[in-house]
Amino acid sequence: MWGVPSVNDLGPVIVTGISDGAVYAICALGLVLTYKTSGVFNFAHGAVAAASAYVFYQFRDRDHMPWGLAAVLALLVVGVIGGLLLERMSYALAEAPTVMRVVATVGLLVGLDSLLTAIYGASTIAFKNFLPQSPTRVGGVNIAASDFITLALAIVATVGLYLFFKRSRLGVAMQAVVDDPDLLSMQGISPVVVRRLAWTIGSCFASVSGMLLAPEIGINVSYLILLIIVAYGAAAIGLFSNLPLTFAGGIIIGVGINVLGQELSGSHSIAILSLAPNLPFLVLFAVMLFVPSRLLIEQGVRRVRRLRPMPTFKPQTVGVSMACFALLAIIVPLVAPAYDINDYTAGLAFAVLFMSLALLTWTSGQISLCQMAFAAVGASTFGHALAAGFPWLLALLVAGLIAMPMGALVAIPAIRLSGIYLAIATFGFGILVERLFFTSFLMFGNQYAIRTPRPHLLGLNLTGDKGYYYVTLSLTALCCVLVLLVRRSRLGRLLRGLADSPTALAAHGANTTITRVFVFCISAFLAGIGGALLAGVTQSGSEATYDFSVSLAMIAVLAFCWRLPILSPFIAAFLYQVLQVYPFFRDATVLKYDGVAFGILAIGVAVWPGLGSIRSSGRAQERDQRGSPVLARSAPVHREKVLT
Amino acid sequence: MNVAMPDLTVDRVTVRFGGLVAVDDVSLHAPAGTITGLIGPNGAGKTTTFNACTGLVSASSGSVRLGEESLNHRGPATRASRGLGRTFQRMELFDSMTVKENVALGPESLFSSRHPWGQLFSPRRETRNIEERARAAMELCEIAELSRRIAGDLSTGQRRLVELARAVASPFRFLLLDEPSSGLDVHETERFGEILVAFVAETGMGILLVEHDMSLVSSVCSTIYVLDFGRLIFYGSTAETLASDVVQAAYLGSEGTGGDHAHVAGSAHA
Repeated sequence: MWGVPSVNDLGPVIVTGISDGAVYAICALGLVLTYKTSGVFNFAHGAVAAASAYVFYQFRDRDHMPWGLAAVLALLVVGVIGGLLLERMSYALAEAPTVMRVVATVGLLVGLDSLLTAIYGASTIAFKNFLPQSPTRVGGVNIAASDFITLALAIVATVGLYLFFKRSRLGVAMQAVVDDPDLLSMQGISPVVVRRLAWTIGSCFASVSGMLLAPEIGINVSYLILLIIVAYGAAAIGLFSNLPLTFAGGIIIGVGINVLGQELSGSHSIAILSLAPNLPFLVLFAVMLFVPSRLLIEQGVRRVRRLRPMPTFKPQTVGVSMACFALLAIIVPLVAPAYDINDYTAGLAFAVLFMSLALLTWTSGQISLCQMAFAAVGASTFGHALAAGFPWLLALLVAGLIAMPMGALVAIPAIRLSGIYLAIATFGFGILVERLFFTSFLMFGNQYAIRTPRPHLLGLNLTGDKGYYYVTLSLTALCCVLVLLVRRSRLGRLLRGLADSPTALAAHGANTTITRVFVFCISAFLAGIGGALLAGVTQSGSEATYDFSVSLAMIAVLAFCWRLPILSPFIAAFLYQVLQVYPFFRDATVLKYDGVAFGILAIGVAVWPGLGSIRSSGRAQERDQRGSPVLARSAPVHREKVLT
Repeated sequence: MNVAMPDLTVDRVTVRFGGLVAVDDVSLHAPAGTITGLIGPNGAGKTTTFNACTGLVSASSGSVRLGEESLNHRGPATRASRGLGRTFQRMELFDSMTVKENVALGPESLFSSRHPWGQLFSPRRETRNIEERARAAMELCEIAELSRRIAGDLSTGQRRLVELARAVASPFRFLLLDEPSSGLDVHETERFGEILVAFVAETGMGILLVEHDMSLVSSVCSTIYVLDFGRLIFYGSTAETLASDVVQAAYLGSEGTGGDHAHVAGSAHA
């Protein structure tokens, strides 16, 4: 079965792999470039590429422009104008904590995804090739002209960028701008110009890769975003900083996917078949797990402003508010139309999911972009446990408990890494779990769903919508109590300390490794419970419910709902899940654009504290652009609580 | 003096960052019950020496001992649990917490590492102990009236005192203080020195003090070590150090007369 293939067998596959890899490399180079120069890892890089493909499609196929003109216009609109807008965003995020940088770019991803889907629909649009396809025979293998062009583009981009960084003054300045723009301006180099150039180049690279990929897979925002995320693996091989290694990573991954795909195509196992397309995520996660942390240097964290503490409320205020809220929650099924009750129940389940995220993000300062993977494990375990005859409540408990080891697994990169790399690791992990395991027999199986019937408890039939609502409400209340107990315990204090200063915590003797494992386990437990409760709403846990994009939307929504441990998750769940029961929000147009609203709000919350610095330094920047070192030095700089 | 406190011994420690030797073969001995100064111009390697002592950076060679116990190859948390505490040049406070919570979390962090489930449960006896320690430390550092204030809202001087109180409240056996008077005015610095002296006299604990304020150093330190470009260039009593040409040269850039060779680092010390 595993015989050595001949060159003739693998030749075309390798050529296709190199061509694909060149596109990944171009995309990854743009990602690494912007990250190196701004400290902002653009999770929306794939969405920018997708946007470019759509704009290209709009101009070429709908407006019937020549493809060359359409490509230039797409490059101008998305690459240049988009790049300049992204530069403004990254500037506002320059002193933002890592979590807010993640929120902003994830918000952009969610918003662009939703906007493109709303305008062009979710189905794939066929997109015919625009580069010449005439084959040339090289070494017994036919190679299309488009493959040559793509590879040449990638090589020129890599060599050009490499020389630019090594040889040119501006290139060196680009690497310095992330750490100390003021110092740069004192050298007579405008940091604004440097940043704009970096973001424009980065976005143009994303734009080009989007246009090159479109003929391969058609125009579909989800596919394009996912395919561009493949470039994260290439960027990981380049340790998010080394351009030649990033290029090599792109090629290795492109060839690896195609060769593995060919070699494993004879297998009947879905898990083995899915290894090839998931190679980039395996590489990404492996880099996060095994590469020494000293090699993964987080960019742009020398000038971080901490989040302002949330206001505290008097115990009486909290008590009265919670009592009113509990009363409201109890009467909901009595006053709401019967057909809306399931939405409210799903809202409660999402409140538990948001609680699990808030505990990680706001209480302990960790970042997770894979909460729905925990939830999916909970939901599928719940279904399996019920099928095995477990009592309903015990099955629910098992669902939470089984999710905990997964939390501990994710805690490994959290122990080794922090900040943006933890976000990237969890992002890759979420996609990996979804694509490798969701359809396995361990989780939802090849039917993509698993039965999760509702309970009979204490002799009561709670299988109806109202009954299940109250079951979910009771369990959500218990989860609230658990979160409050954690926060008031020693662990809660250590978690808050971890969020504020892990260095101080360790310097006072706390084992922060254990703290991180605990918080990820508790968060995974809550997410597992939330996922199982959500599955009970439809009585069938479906893998689509736990898509990784929901994890991204969740962090975007939670970001603009304050940072309170209990109230924020309920507000977030209400906005995300329940709002659609009200007539205005049920409107098809409003529903289509809800992701856009979430994205804009998330970006707004993340960049808001930095907007002041943009306004206050506006005039100084104008001078600064002229490269006046003396005047640039006098530019007011927004710095509070500067940390290293 | 309550219990016997250990000395801190740094023996030929070298720290490299790639090709840069940040600390070069530095040895020093800071006895219990005294305040030892560690001074030098900016970039001399003082904070890096502290970081090597507390395990925040790995020493390329050399050893650090607390009493007779070697701290080599141990992480920051383990070194802290062995009794080596510190404050930071760039303050590391829990900014979202109140002053009282900040100070209490110092000893609580250390107690949490004493048994496997220590992070989950806090025995009532420990809780009372922590509260008592926090109260006493805040009184000692004269910040009791700030106990309900959020640490992130305080002035730099107040924050320094909170960080000191947190270190003092923890059951450490030796303290490294990194520029603790930075941000304090003249009167506050004077009072700060009195607090340190009283604390050392009461507990018998040793302190290694990195400080730029020479008035504070000269008033509280019995011995002073001087670093320059990562190397130990002088050590001696406070009076000897202040009179040293070598030290003057390092601080002011003038050439020393070389009249105090007996104290120039590299002699049979440590």
